[in-house]
Amino acid sequence: MALLESETVKAYYHVRQGYVKAVDNVDLSVDKGAILGLAGESGCGKSTLMNTLMMNVKPPLHLMEGTIVLDGKVISKMSISELKKNIWGVLVSLVPQSALNALMPTKRIADFIEDVISHHMSVSDPEIQSMAKKRFEELNLQVDSLSLYPHELSGGMKQRAVIAVSTLLNPKLLIVDEPTSALDVSTQKQVLKMLTDLRRSGIIESMVFVTHDIAVLRQIADGVTIMYAGKIVESGSTDDVLFHPKHPYTSSLTSAVVTPEPEVRERGLVSIPGEPPDLLDPPKGCRFHPRCPMVMDICGSVEPPLVEAGAKWLVACHLVSQGR
Amino acid sequence: MRIKKLDVSLGIFVGMWLISIFGSLIYNVDPLAIVGLPEQPPSNRFPLGTDSWGRDLLALLLGGIRNSLYVGVAAALIALAIGVTIGVISGFKGGFIDSSLMLVTDVVLVLPSILIMMLVAAYLRERNPFYVSLIIGLTSWPWVARATRSQMMSLKSREFMYMSRMAGLRDMRIIVEDLLPNMASYTFMAFVLLMSGAMIAEAGLSMIGLGVTKGVSLGVILYWAQLLESVRRGIWWWFMPPGAILVALASSLLLLSTALDEYFSPRLKGG
Amino acid sequence: MVLEVKDLTKIYHVGLFKRKEIVAVSNISFDVKPSEFVSLVGESGSGKTTAAKMILRLLKPTSGKISFEGNDVWNLKGLEKVRSYYKSVHGIFQDPYASYNPLHKIDRALYQVFTLMGQSGSDRDGMVREALKEVGLRAEDVLGKYPHELSGGQRQRIMVARCYLLRPKLILADEPISMIDASTKASILKLFSKLRDEHDTSVIFITHDLGLAYYVSDEVLIMSKGSIVEKGVPDDIMNRPQHPYTKRLKEDIPLFYKKWVGF
Repeated sequence: MALLESETVKAYYHVRQGYVKAVDNVDLSVDKGAILGLAGESGCGKSTLMNTLMMNVKPPLHLMEGTIVLDGKVISKMSISELKKNIWGVLVSLVPQSALNALMPTKRIADFIEDVISHHMSVSDPEIQSMAKKRFEELNLQVDSLSLYPHELSGGMKQRAVIAVSTLLNPKLLIVDEPTSALDVSTQKQVLKMLTDLRRSGIIESMVFVTHDIAVLRQIADGVTIMYAGKIVESGSTDDVLFHPKHPYTSSLTSAVVTPEPEVRERGLVSIPGEPPDLLDPPKGCRFHPRCPMVMDICGSVEPPLVEAGAKWLVACHLVSQGR
Repeated sequence: MRIKKLDVSLGIFVGMWLISIFGSLIYNVDPLAIVGLPEQPPSNRFPLGTDSWGRDLLALLLGGIRNSLYVGVAAALIALAIGVTIGVISGFKGGFIDSSLMLVTDVVLVLPSILIMMLVAAYLRERNPFYVSLIIGLTSWPWVARATRSQMMSLKSREFMYMSRMAGLRDMRIIVEDLLPNMASYTFMAFVLLMSGAMIAEAGLSMIGLGVTKGVSLGVILYWAQLLESVRRGIWWWFMPPGAILVALASSLLLLSTALDEYFSPRLKGG
Repeated sequence: MVLEVKDLTKIYHVGLFKRKEIVAVSNISFDVKPSEFVSLVGESGSGKTTAAKMILRLLKPTSGKISFEGNDVWNLKGLEKVRSYYKSVHGIFQDPYASYNPLHKIDRALYQVFTLMGQSGSDRDGMVREALKEVGLRAEDVLGKYPHELSGGQRQRIMVARCYLLRPKLILADEPISMIDASTKASILKLFSKLRDEHDTSVIFITHDLGLAYYVSDEVLIMSKGSIVEKGVPDDIMNRPQHPYTKRLKEDIPLFYKKWVGF
């Protein structure tokens, strides 16, 4: 059963020179109780996709086409006020990139929580504070950090506080965008543990975890979706996609993983020539074809469709759709 | 929104320049000549009326704008040259040189510039616009030095400096090639602010009788206006036009500096 | 021995009366041999970048000695000696955008180093073209452009091309690939290997990524809170870590082939 289902989503940025096709015809679904990892390099559109999936779409970003259904509700048709009242923070919460840097330096964590909650619920301040305290205790966060200012907290503590506040109202879906990129490995592990605990304790149901770090996804995601230049190129279970990749781009991403493991030394590091394309004017046909080591004639003219390559395993590559 | 600010302020400012250059060519009357009856209100013959001596106030105004602008530019250039030079050396060299130069700067900063200007001005019997510019310029550079020094110090620790330092370039070359270009926009704004301040300082000096002795400036017109009690006697055509123009000039420059700040900032952050 | 670092220390004095002391680097010692890849691994705040800057003469040490081929690096008298040092020891930094002066074309980054090489009248354009070719760039594609007109990968390659012009004996690379896309990281690493294979260049990699260090180095130095807590060959560090910090670091790195327990 899917908690989130999106079809033919096209989200473009309207700029002077035309449209930047950041998300171009994407179907994505998130199952109930699942952690979905979304991976891709800079400029692939993953952050835009996340904002679009929860309908946080402001000019110059426009939702050109597509339907998004969250928990049975068609949110792509809702007004901003409806979204603010019933969806954001309540059904779905997004922790954007560098959220820890966006904390108001002149407000204590407790004040920040009050602002957020009073937006959604008319609850008295003392009640809000006790909610916050209880939740922090539940998540093994130091309760006295509630009375501190952002600069008094470490990076890891800030990130965990932000995540805790985003999930105070128990949204069914939590979307986190690069939550650990700026943290050192030990803090990263703490934050990752907190995120999996959120699901385990039922505070959230499902999660979408956006990152460029494939090894992190391998550790916590049930399913993985790979994006390139605004399109989904492969998606399926973590084991299938990361260890038996069918799309040449996925293989190169997994072969570029550098962890201190002997298998990496044996395999060597692989790189692909060229750079990700300009989304104002992407390549014709398959967007990856100029850099693809397995490119065929058809790749430059026809876009490969997203087809099933196995149980719940989708790949957009002519190699697969032509049965090679 | 920011484009409009830039347009308005630039418009006023350029407009004033044009008026000062072409105004007296078109309206060719000697400002200091007595051409009519004293204290006449604006009429067809005298668009801005006459003062207590019977001189044409429009001619006076045009001449005044020109000299006020001249003093503004000259004083600003003098102050800019001194301030930037000291700021650059101080910020770049650091250490003892920095401390000594900043000591000098602080002393000049703390000196009551009005008093200094008054003393010097009183000492010089004949004061042409250049001397007045010199007086103002020599007392208004300290904040520029301090600001330039701060800019210099922050630029020095930017990452792109490593490249030039590792290329073994001489200090002077690094200053000229790497640091000054990055300070260009700031220097330009400092100039605009200095000019605004200088014009008001000139008006201030003139109003206490210590401004230009040769020629006329907006401040001088105002000096005569208040000397002859034009406010009490209701001779509004004497004090209002120069006052309004002075305010318009100074404000347009301040507005220009804000607009420039906005214009330059996003540009510098990655084209 | 190419580089010898002995008891290098950097202490910052901050606060109202400069009373508070921050020890950024505390008595570190290590050396680098010719053609050797050494990694200095540490998390942010460990002092690794500070150490690199001191070796590159960009930051003055509080105490300690840095010797390059037997000469005290901080005791070089005269511009010529300093230039000669930079010809042999050069740096590449993490942020490929911030490394360039945004108001100049990138050509300057390359042509600048001819000051260090002192050969006048030689074919500068040709040498620049060759160096760009070595790093996989075409001169027509990048010359005459401003930093913001190029991608991060291109900018970083130009930094390496700069080193190709110099053929230094030692390069200090501070997180050279952390801001590069995953699919192109390996190609930049190969450039360093090429420099070593062809010109016996040694490289000190400064990184927070133990995986990178493990993959690429001959020796790994682990830094924490300003000190070197463990030294060794990659296999020893990974399979027989001694220091508790190294052990913790190893346990917390997300692995690809093995799954964490209890997650």
